[in-house]
Amino acid sequence: MSVTFTFLDWLWVGLFLLLMVGSGILFYRLGKRSESDFFLAGRGLPWWLPASSVYATHTATDTPMWITGVIYKNGMAGIWYTFFCGWAAISAFVSTRIFRRSLAYTQAEWNVVRFTGLGSELLRGWMAGWQFFMNMFVLGWVGIAMGRVCEYLFAWPTWIGLIVFSLVCAIYVLAAGYWGVVMADFQQGVIAFLVIIIVSVWGIHTAGGPNGILEKLEILGELDRINPFAFTGWWSGDFPIAWFITMMLIAFLGGFGMGTTIDWYVEAQRIQSAKTVRDASYSIWWGTILGLVRNSVWAVAILAFFVLFPGITEQSEYEMGWFRLGFDYLPAGMLGFFFAAILAIHLSTISSHLNLGALYATRDLYQHYVNPQASQKRLVQVGRISTGILLLGSFFYGLIMEDITSWLIFALWIMAAGIWLPNILQVVWWRFNAWGYLSSWIANLGFSWLVVWILPELNLIPHLLDYQQFWILMILGAMVYFPVTLLTKSEPMDHLVHYYVMSRPIGWWGPVRKEAMRRGLILVSGETTLGAEEASRPADTYPNTP
Amino acid sequence: MNQALATVIGMTIAYAASFLGLILAYRAWRSHQKKNRNGDV
Repeated sequence: MSVTFTFLDWLWVGLFLLLMVGSGILFYRLGKRSESDFFLAGRGLPWWLPASSVYATHTATDTPMWITGVIYKNGMAGIWYTFFCGWAAISAFVSTRIFRRSLAYTQAEWNVVRFTGLGSELLRGWMAGWQFFMNMFVLGWVGIAMGRVCEYLFAWPTWIGLIVFSLVCAIYVLAAGYWGVVMADFQQGVIAFLVIIIVSVWGIHTAGGPNGILEKLEILGELDRINPFAFTGWWSGDFPIAWFITMMLIAFLGGFGMGTTIDWYVEAQRIQSAKTVRDASYSIWWGTILGLVRNSVWAVAILAFFVLFPGITEQSEYEMGWFRLGFDYLPAGMLGFFFAAILAIHLSTISSHLNLGALYATRDLYQHYVNPQASQKRLVQVGRISTGILLLGSFFYGLIMEDITSWLIFALWIMAAGIWLPNILQVVWWRFNAWGYLSSWIANLGFSWLVVWILPELNLIPHLLDYQQFWILMILGAMVYFPVTLLTKSEPMDHLVHYYVMSRPIGWWGPVRKEAMRRGLILVSGETTLGAEEASRPADTYPNTP
Repeated sequence: MNQALATVIGMTIAYAASFLGLILAYRAWRSHQKKNRNGDV
């Protein structure tokens, strides 16, 4: 397909890009004031700004593609794939609050707040390096998705869509840092949400409305597509109940932990940029709710697409379904507006990951390990240089990724499976220590290669379904990190008490809580006493900040 | 590019970045311990 744009269409696109870059220039002065401004907007944002940023960031160019893919292929049952973000419903009131109280800039920094000593430092360095890569990787895969959209629409070579729009986005990220990101995200979130609703409703209307869709599904003999619980048995088929239970467990129990999904690391930055603990909670909850509403609207629109174009077997073709609803059916002059919304979706994700990756490089790697005495001006400079490196690295990753899906699944598995439980344990169990957590990360990297690729290729185990891989990786990991945790010392009680008083975690913290009460730092009611946080600070540990 | 090779290259970069962070952390820790022993801190 090739779309022809009128002057009005290009005008929409031009105006939108001008608005985005303009907002970067507008917040340039605020962004360059300090590291805190360049990466957290000075920690003073009301909840609705990070909320819109959560929503906008997680609405990426590839999001309508994979949601279209699972709904077109599986009907409404496919919507459960999108429910992994359900973790935020719990996290908003549990781990979000604990993390915001810690004042850590990043999840890597949080490790030296929760743990102490060499183990915690190794964890911080490891996670910072991993996150620098991970953001580069995400930028590559989102960028190449944009390249494919442009190839599909305008028959441009893939690299043009990958490079041009990421470069435009980099202008305002380099200029204003997180201030530019969050302000642009707000505008992009509003534009994207409106257009998603307009295009989806337009598509549903074109297919004859909800009743028309139902009638056509009945004629096609596909009425079971509207049943979200159309599972294929307990263990067999594409949609076994075992898969569903695993997904729900990962999502909702994951809310008690930190880092249980790849999205957490983005959310962590938004949590710390909110002005209060309450604002942080609201931002995560509302941002996610908007995402779920978006997914539901998309799902119905894809049913409309299915009845308009049934029987497409090529995945790459039906994945473009939602885009086709817009480009095939919107009137001339609106196409540019639709493309501007696609750009909004794209730029919001690119900008967030550019700034987030640079945060890990600057705060954790450069400031903490290389130059702790760096001035604020220097830190902002390093932030900008890191942003540039991430951008270039993302082009490299984007261009070598032909098969996005297998990369994506593997990277997500690496992030999620073997460290899912340790990510929860670090929050809820006082005895879990830095060595246990670090060992889980390293063991997971090795096991995931073995279980996902090497052993099946050698025919030593069969090719497993994703939920089966999850359980196997979890068990293998546990066989490493539980012994490591129990065979090494717990964190020093002084450090744990200080952490407890500061972050007020939930779960199995009995001995620490008792000690904090004995020291008069918290009351029986659970309230901290005046000045308890400062009073509980251990005298001499390896410097945790910066 | 062959996708298997691309995956190996891509993930090798990922591990290299993580180990670089690990090494930086270890160096910083050792230098801090040395300063501590010399009474500089």
